[in-house]
Amino acid sequence: MFSSVEDVIKRLAEQKYLCTKHVATVVYLACAMRKPVLVEGPAGVGKTELGKVLASALHLELIRLQCYEGLDEAKALYEWEYAKQLLYTQILKDKIGEVLEGAQSLQHAVERIANEDDVFFSQKFLLPRPLLRAILSPEPTVLLIDEVDKSDTEFEAFLLEVLSDFQVSVPEIGTLGATHRPFVILTSNNSREMSDALKRRCLHLYLDYPDPDRELEILKLKVPGVGEKLADEVVHLLHRLRKLDLKKKPSISETLDWVRALTLLQIERLDQQLVEETLATLLKYEGDIRKAQKEMKDYLAERKAKIQTAVVTSDKDLLH
Amino acid sequence: MDERIVEFTHLLRRQGARVSLSENIDAIQALGIVGIEDPSMFRDGLRATLVKRASDIRTFEELFDLFFLGLGASLRQSERDLMDRLSLTPQQYQHLLEEVRRLLERRQNLSPLARALLAGDLAQAERLIRQAIAQEELGQAGGQIGVALYLRLAGRLALTTVEEELGSFREMALAEPGDGDKRDRLSRYVEHRLQDLSRMVRDLLRQELKKRSVVAPERERPEYLAHKNFAYYTEEDIRRMNDAVTRLAQRFKNLLTLRRRKARRGRFDLQETLRKNLQYGGVPFRLQLDRRKKEKPEIIILCDISDSVLNASRFMLQFVYSVQDLYSKVRSFVFVSDIGEVTRLFEDNDLQQAVELALKGEVINVYSRSNFGRAFELFYREHCSAVSGKTTVMIIGDGRNNYNHPHDWVLKEIQRKAKRLIWLNPESRWKWGFGDSEMPRYAPHCDVVEECGNLSQLHRVIERIVP
Repeated sequence: MFSSVEDVIKRLAEQKYLCTKHVATVVYLACAMRKPVLVEGPAGVGKTELGKVLASALHLELIRLQCYEGLDEAKALYEWEYAKQLLYTQILKDKIGEVLEGAQSLQHAVERIANEDDVFFSQKFLLPRPLLRAILSPEPTVLLIDEVDKSDTEFEAFLLEVLSDFQVSVPEIGTLGATHRPFVILTSNNSREMSDALKRRCLHLYLDYPDPDRELEILKLKVPGVGEKLADEVVHLLHRLRKLDLKKKPSISETLDWVRALTLLQIERLDQQLVEETLATLLKYEGDIRKAQKEMKDYLAERKAKIQTAVVTSDKDLLH
Repeated sequence: MDERIVEFTHLLRRQGARVSLSENIDAIQALGIVGIEDPSMFRDGLRATLVKRASDIRTFEELFDLFFLGLGASLRQSERDLMDRLSLTPQQYQHLLEEVRRLLERRQNLSPLARALLAGDLAQAERLIRQAIAQEELGQAGGQIGVALYLRLAGRLALTTVEEELGSFREMALAEPGDGDKRDRLSRYVEHRLQDLSRMVRDLLRQELKKRSVVAPERERPEYLAHKNFAYYTEEDIRRMNDAVTRLAQRFKNLLTLRRRKARRGRFDLQETLRKNLQYGGVPFRLQLDRRKKEKPEIIILCDISDSVLNASRFMLQFVYSVQDLYSKVRSFVFVSDIGEVTRLFEDNDLQQAVELALKGEVINVYSRSNFGRAFELFYREHCSAVSGKTTVMIIGDGRNNYNHPHDWVLKEIQRKAKRLIWLNPESRWKWGFGDSEMPRYAPHCDVVEECGNLSQLHRVIERIVP
């Protein structure tokens, strides 16, 4: 596990994930207090990514549970494979005969069978789903419960139970407890407010869009070979776009995609035509694109004006 | 420190953030891990454990500054001032402090406050002053420091004695052998500390008053709200009502999911039965029935948003959209004399904002006079295709038509096409039919007509109309 907040920052950076001290503190706390973290924030700021890099930074297995409407215990926790159990009993009929051979009385026979009980009710017939896998794993794991807000309230209540003591009771074999408490990350897009009970059990982390400097760092780290000027322009433009009233604001992951595309096309500076052609990678709604185009034009015009004044002043310098 | 955390959470609660006892414990535990030396980590630790709603973060930040940083900043500033004034480097300053402490050892009979001040232990001084303030009755002065209050506090802290003690200490320092420069420095140091003292008392007192003047929201008065007519709601009432409606919606949702799970009738489910009965060797002991899927209804709401029924419309819109996943489709319209669809607003904005936009006349002119007949006719002409056998149509309005043509045939038509037609009227039942109220004409075409003028009536109505 992590030894300090600085350690978190360092080890996440090794996994190419830049985080603020705030994020690192919460992660460190969660680690030390053995509590789940509920990560909220707009789409595409790296919530899921945080879970993934944590697993690789700690060299632990990542178990991911994607939530959706209608997700239930059987899909999230375990299923009992009756078919397999039945099949085993059928196939082993002869063997059972052998075991019972020479039994003096019915009582005796029952006892002998009882000795073999474990064969019929064992974890062999348990089909573990993500939650149970995390609980049963002999090694510590990172359990990522993604988009928990998409699940139903019923499932949330069930999750509460699991998260509070990390043990489940399976009617067929009894209670199974965790050998290691998994490190749990829950992410939520806030499509609905999670219940207070769930929030109470978690540490809360709100991830927001990064400030321009940090975003620039992320760009440079994630897209090697991106031009200095291009990255700078993209980041500034994006911050202006995010201030607009858009239906879906461009996220970090979309920015990265866009910059990758631009770098592939070997582009060093933004210009009008190019931006209009590639805007679709950044924005997903027609209305948003229209709004953004106007903002882009303004931005490019301003930039042009700035360059011109710079040129003019340098000309003046030459005249003197 | 623990006490201060508890006090801080009290403040948070008074500001409307929900902080439970277990979260409080978490916070204290977290501080044990991150420590309190690093202010940013201290803040993050508290924030992660105490604040669980993104909307509370701002409140937290404000209170945190007020509570933990207010004085710290001014104290640090004071240290810097002192160094500047005596034109000392930090090292020389440390030297001076040591000198002072050496002198202090010879004076045993100083009061604790004077000692803490002179030794430069401002944290200790702060604690002493805080204790004194905590014993004072502050009342609701609203952030102003009264002279009487200040004098009382000065008496409790024995400020005059402290001043005298500082004065005598200075004389002692001046009588010390050594060069004049050093003596001068010592004397100015003591002077500065005196100023610090009065400033600290003032700042701490002001801070404490500010904390207390953080207004506690009035007591929740559900009974009071339950019977107050929507039309007379104040802004404060509306805000509280919003909460009530959200809670109501959540309760109904839970109720319905429960109801659905208990449903025990339905078609025979072959696949599931085989699977469940494998444990009995395939002999179907337990029949499994297909949980009959409830058909989710569609709903169309028509809201009158003229002033008289504005609030009823507001809460109904809010309610329906809070439980919208119970419906397969929700469409909403607002009308006064024109009619306009506001469904889009709810897709693009969050609930509160959308409701406000819809009511403020984003789509239609709200300053015209109510004309139900015209609005209905327009609805019939432009949107009637939206009504089908699965649709519940809900109208919220007082039916006061300003003596225009009622066009009640539209309602008849809608009722014929729709699954249910519900009319909610915020006006008292006995007023229906008087003056320009067209209720007697409209009512016969509706499946349900209910009075919905206050919270308890809203409760009853919702009970009836939720699928």
